[in-house]
Amino acid sequence: MKRIIPVLLLLLVALPGPAHSSDPMDAVRGPIDEVINTLKDPQYQGDAQKEVQREKIWKIIRELFDFKKISSLALGNYRKKFSPQELKEFTDHFSRLLEDTYLDKIQAEYRNEKVIYLSQKIGSGKKADKALVKTKITRESVEIPVNYKMWLNNGIWRVYDVKVEGVSLVKNYRNQFQKILLNNPPAHLIEKVRKKVEKRKEKKADADK
Amino acid sequence: MQINKPHNILRLLTLFLAVLAFFSGCAHQRVDNSPAVPSFAQKSHKANLSAADQAMSEYKEDSDDDFLDDELDDDFLDDELDEDSDTSFKDSEEKIRLSDPLAPWNRVMFRFNDKLYFWVLKPVAKGYKAVTPAAVRLGIRNFFRNLTTPIRVVNCIFQGKFHTAELEIARFLINSTVGVLGLGDVAKNNPKFDRPPEEDLGQTLGVYGIGNGFYIVWPLAGPSTLRDSAGIIGDMFLNPITYVDMPPGSGAGITAFETVNETSFRIGDYEAIKDAAIEPYEAFRDAYLQYREKKVRNREEGETERRYDNLIRKWIK
Repeated sequence: MKRIIPVLLLLLVALPGPAHSSDPMDAVRGPIDEVINTLKDPQYQGDAQKEVQREKIWKIIRELFDFKKISSLALGNYRKKFSPQELKEFTDHFSRLLEDTYLDKIQAEYRNEKVIYLSQKIGSGKKADKALVKTKITRESVEIPVNYKMWLNNGIWRVYDVKVEGVSLVKNYRNQFQKILLNNPPAHLIEKVRKKVEKRKEKKADADK
Repeated sequence: MQINKPHNILRLLTLFLAVLAFFSGCAHQRVDNSPAVPSFAQKSHKANLSAADQAMSEYKEDSDDDFLDDELDDDFLDDELDEDSDTSFKDSEEKIRLSDPLAPWNRVMFRFNDKLYFWVLKPVAKGYKAVTPAAVRLGIRNFFRNLTTPIRVVNCIFQGKFHTAELEIARFLINSTVGVLGLGDVAKNNPKFDRPPEEDLGQTLGVYGIGNGFYIVWPLAGPSTLRDSAGIIGDMFLNPITYVDMPPGSGAGITAFETVNETSFRIGDYEAIKDAAIEPYEAFRDAYLQYREKKVRNREEGETERRYDNLIRKWIK
């Protein structure tokens, strides 16, 4: 009996997994630090390794960022026009677009940027499942404030919006999509996003030649 | 003296634009009239909905699912996390939309600026960056920032941010002396003297309740609003460079140089946003609006006994 308890404890500690901490800042810090370490990792410096590095980073990001929520919020009111199937399609393409754009940029241009975690604030009362984590990214003595809006879902804090210098990613896309969805069916937007992802892939393939 | 005449005209222009902004700004602050930017129709604005929006509003009342109600979307997207935070302030913000009556012109200017960036500004900035060490570029940037201190000080005072105004003056003194004419930002070595957020006349007008007016994209200068443009012109009077007797055209040269220097730090930012956008024109318009909104709402940090900036806001309401 006495042996079982330390073994159980060991198991608990050894369990991997997403940030089950009830601390939003920790939930952000872990993955972001891991991403930075991956970017700095010398074993990925060769061109051949870039895909592997990207996959690794993408896996981390996908756990931290709640793309389903991000996509749904980006549609705003118009999400009611989407069938569940269309919603899923849209989420897939939109996540892909975000991945392609931002990961490419991060991978290509990472140059020892530092992330400083400033503060976290958890809502009170009804909003106790929401939190705001403030960070600062320093690059060449330019400081960029980046805030993460998070929500607690099934005990895990995940990001549903990123604000860079006061500009919310979700609001920005929502504004763009409004224009398209006002006069067009959901399929039209999905097609647009899909085409954009395609174009980027082609451009990238061309650039790699 | 040659300088007087243009100043008089500028003065009149500023007054005219400010008055225009005041009247059109107040009208446009809450209701969006432009067909190009449909707003999430507020319950109180149903009367202003077009037919298409009318159909949309039928979808709104869905109290079952918390997350689909547009107003509860605000729960996610609002900045205030406290239930009992200053909600009256939040209400007065509402959904600020930017009307865009000059959209056709703006889109042309947007494309023009886009080409200008890729064909001229970016190559020049890249070349400049390649031959100029970072320390030199930083020094130049510090120099220009130091010079424009009067603009920030005056606008801080008008917004009631006296603590920040003091800070700007202190930084100016330190950097101009120890920092050698502002080339070095030695003040920031002391964390108490970190660079505060920059204030300008456009923000001051915003704090006093003057609405944006409408969106306008200037060739070269880029996105702006009626209010912010008036602010830029007004700020020129506080910019020491305006008052130096120079051969004509050198003012433009100096601005161009400053722009290239500043861009050398931010190469790639514009492309990234454009790349990620489905509709670049709307993306930049919205980003600009959000960015400026954030700056107008900026409050002074820290507890001070007399928070004049809060007093001004309460008075405006």
